[in-house]
Amino acid sequence: MLGQLAAWLTRDLAPGVAAYQQSALGMSAGLIGMCIEEADRAVARRVEENAAIRGLLARGADLVEARLSARLQALAEGADASLLVSALEAVNAELRAALIDLHAAVEALDGEAARALEADIWAELRASTERRRLSAGTV
Amino acid sequence: MSDLSEKLAAYLAGQMPGTSEVAVSDLSRISGGASRETYRFRLDWRDAAGSAASRLLILRKDPVDSLIDTERRTEFSAYRAFHGSAVPVPEMLYLEEDESHLGSPFFVAEQIAGFEAGPMQLLGPPYAEHHPAYAQRKWTILGEIARADPAAVGLTEGMESPALDACWSRELDHWEAIIDADALEPLPIIRAAIRWLRANPPPPAQKLSVVHGDYRTGNFLYDQAGGIHGILDWEMAHLGDPLEDLGWSFNPIWRWGRPGLVGGLAPREQAIAIWERASGLVADPAALHWWELFNCVKGQGIWVSSSKAFADGKNRDPILAFSGWLMGNAQDRAALEVMDKL
Repeated sequence: MLGQLAAWLTRDLAPGVAAYQQSALGMSAGLIGMCIEEADRAVARRVEENAAIRGLLARGADLVEARLSARLQALAEGADASLLVSALEAVNAELRAALIDLHAAVEALDGEAARALEADIWAELRASTERRRLSAGTV
Repeated sequence: MSDLSEKLAAYLAGQMPGTSEVAVSDLSRISGGASRETYRFRLDWRDAAGSAASRLLILRKDPVDSLIDTERRTEFSAYRAFHGSAVPVPEMLYLEEDESHLGSPFFVAEQIAGFEAGPMQLLGPPYAEHHPAYAQRKWTILGEIARADPAAVGLTEGMESPALDACWSRELDHWEAIIDADALEPLPIIRAAIRWLRANPPPPAQKLSVVHGDYRTGNFLYDQAGGIHGILDWEMAHLGDPLEDLGWSFNPIWRWGRPGLVGGLAPREQAIAIWERASGLVADPAALHWWELFNCVKGQGIWVSSSKAFADGKNRDPILAFSGWLMGNAQDRAALEVMDKL
């Protein structure tokens, strides 16, 4: 249905308006297309990502200083209490903020465990862009 | 639109003593004005002898909240600095910072008519067969910008002149602060990039250059045969390291889905060779890599700002939401690629 709306904007409305409005309608149709892509995966990608980050935080808690470790451990033991996208997104933001702090801390550590965790953090960051990837993306 | 036409005509009449019957017609907003509202129009008037004259012009007017927060005087001065040089730019005519005329600051410039600017169009026929020529012209012009003496073109008075060893930190500080202020969600990839950039600073700039600030496929006017006739969108112009612009032109997001071709036009090494010949400068690989990664941070700064402006309701232009979302994700992937993590 949203796809039909996007097509109506670009095929039916756009030809009859001035250049700027044509461009704005094209952008709006593009946004609708991105919403269609995102709507289907919105819950799945957040649930998957939150679980992946919790796993990294749990491992990191064993490597970093006490205060950060306690924060990571608490977040790692959390769960997605609601499958509303807004609730999952709020949890995701908290987890990704902690991942930034863990990543920075691990970069400063020596040892195989730190390097292995750092590599896995990069793997998760790679995966995070795949989960969010849009078909119209330029990269 | 007629109200704007009338106010614009009244303003221009005041700038053109000795003329009469000054009239604005065919005023229409055009796309691409993410940081300014851009309009094209026709100006007609009679000179002091009563002869009729006309000219196609551009109005660039500040919106309430733009994709890029910059001073219109900076943009106006940069255009004016290069007019008549090897860097093709439209002639700047009037800069007005008094909001009483049109409701916000604006400038009026020559319209370079008859050419295209859209990046996607450039990638297909009949343009694609001329990509080597566009590339030659694109990076030659960028080399000319880098080669120019900022003092000689009159830009050292209105723009800050950072020390050669401070060009990188000035820019990184600026864009990190924007990300701190505007990011709507945590950005672990870009934060990792910022940490790397601070831990591995580039060598001092070879010289202080004019930096266009947004030199990319999509910001120049081109014909159908490999020619480039106007360099646009100087709103982020500043003085700094010439490698900054080269790095921005290599940002993977600007290759428009054409892997292996910087700007969607040419192999990277070819573009570097063209730039080095035109600029007389050297693109040190390590320094250029630093600036390429920096430009991923800068790009994300632009995308988070545009998203925030739209989300806050300050500016409802859909380009802000569209580019913020689409390019933000692409910019993260670009950063991973530049860091060899993709």
